[in-house]
Amino acid sequence: MKKVIAREEWCLNCRLCEVYCRTAHSVSGDVVRAHLREDPTPVSRITVEGDNLDSVAVNCRHCDEPACVAACITGAMQKDPETGIVTCDESRCIGCMTCLAVCPYGCIKTGKAAVKCDLCQGTGEPACVKNCPNRALVYVEVGGAAK
Amino acid sequence: MKRYAIVGASAAGLSCAKTLRALDADCKIDLFTDEAYLPYSRPIISYYLKNKVNAQQIYLQDAAFYEANDITVHLNEPVTEVREHALQTQRGKRYGFDKLLLATGSVPFVPPMENVGGQENVFTFLTMSEAERLKAYAEPDMHAVVLGAGLIGLKAAEGLRSCVKSVTVVELAGKVLPSILDDRAAPMVEAHLQANGIVTLLGDTVVRAEGKEKITSVTLKSGKTLPCDLLVVAVGVRPNTALAESCGADVNRGITVDHETMETTVPDVFAAGDCVRSLDILDGKEKIIALWPNAVREGKTAAYNMAGVPEKDTGSFAVNAIDFFGQRICTCGLINDDSAQVLVRADATQYKRLLVKDNHLVGFVLINCSARAGIYTELIRQKTDLTALSGDLLKEPGLMLYARDVRTEKLTGGVRI
Repeated sequence: MKKVIAREEWCLNCRLCEVYCRTAHSVSGDVVRAHLREDPTPVSRITVEGDNLDSVAVNCRHCDEPACVAACITGAMQKDPETGIVTCDESRCIGCMTCLAVCPYGCIKTGKAAVKCDLCQGTGEPACVKNCPNRALVYVEVGGAAK
Repeated sequence: MKRYAIVGASAAGLSCAKTLRALDADCKIDLFTDEAYLPYSRPIISYYLKNKVNAQQIYLQDAAFYEANDITVHLNEPVTEVREHALQTQRGKRYGFDKLLLATGSVPFVPPMENVGGQENVFTFLTMSEAERLKAYAEPDMHAVVLGAGLIGLKAAEGLRSCVKSVTVVELAGKVLPSILDDRAAPMVEAHLQANGIVTLLGDTVVRAEGKEKITSVTLKSGKTLPCDLLVVAVGVRPNTALAESCGADVNRGITVDHETMETTVPDVFAAGDCVRSLDILDGKEKIIALWPNAVREGKTAAYNMAGVPEKDTGSFAVNAIDFFGQRICTCGLINDDSAQVLVRADATQYKRLLVKDNHLVGFVLINCSARAGIYTELIRQKTDLTALSGDLLKEPGLMLYARDVRTEKLTGGVRI
């Protein structure tokens, strides 16, 4: 499967990946509306860790054996056997956040339900990658369990 | 064609069935449950009680899943006997198997109390059928008493709060959630429960009930009397080991298993989940770890070994994430280890307690500050040497704690760009 790979040496700590992730997962799909008008403000599923000296963007690794899926008490968190994408069905999530407690990358956030990267539903290059000005994020085939 | 039988259709049983199917497209998989429901989320029953989910939303997989994966689920079919690669059900049917998984879970423990047994308004809170009975019985003018302030008791109390007039939780220990909270976190949680209308009585227990056919009040050890229109007994659970014992497997509180393969002392009979005595990798002690992720992992390990694929279990430890009335609690590992060094960061609404032993994180308690808690869990699981990390461990954790080459390896999975 293809995954988002972060190249720490090129990260500028500009956080545009977060801005465009929020926009991609907003109701309006508009960058200004998403940040100023929508309530609740959409949650970014990617997070830039670190500071201006050293930073890196972290999002879901879509693990081969995801701890979050094994820990999910409702079956809301699933790994698609075809695409390899790990998604949370927010209609089935009760927000216990056991997934957050076991994710080794700290990639799951609390919204109305558990919120995480869905690789923009596999619709091509994810918004974070598309809008990274320095190609610190790339979307590449990494092999693994799924296509 | 290999024949697999699984007794118990919850976390461990379903995880085993799924894994077996993934490993062997042709095998026969029979899943037996004494309940009337396809595998459902047990923890979700409190959300059902408070109407956050409906009766159709409790299922872990929809009915089509079992058909698509050719897993035969035998509902309402308790298994009564296992003998010589065959099991007998209460309906008198006999099913042969090559390998068997016992995923029989736990049963609620009801302590001896005078005049409580057999009363129609006494409930436990472990199964959907009990949740349905409770939901149908509860009325807005009722006074509810919950015995036990553990995870199950408090979830029942939270669910009941929206159904009845008053909810009183009675707990014998001196604090709420005694098994997962330390002495400083527990009062924070208790205060939040009280602020949301739950009455808590600690260091006390129910000794007697008044009423014929129906309880009308309960008397506590302290002599106090509480009006009681319904009583939920949630003092704890016991591993359900009756079937394991009857087939001659060694049982010592939980079913004895090989911790690497999940096989019991009876060849070809495996066991996983709440009914098993697991090995806690943090203190090396055998204990019952009746938690969802543990059951899923053990069921999966059992499946591999049942299918003849050598796969060692990675071992257990406790992780809990739960919320009551919006207050988030996340705990992991050894919470009350007196020999550990304790690091605390707290204010009025948040509390973080980290337990460190010989430069290793061994446990944590987080109240309303569980962001990226999985980073801590991973440090515990991997037994990471904390001296190799940089930054303040008490701040919100992240991959930046690790040295750069370590975090790059983690993030890229070794992929070079």
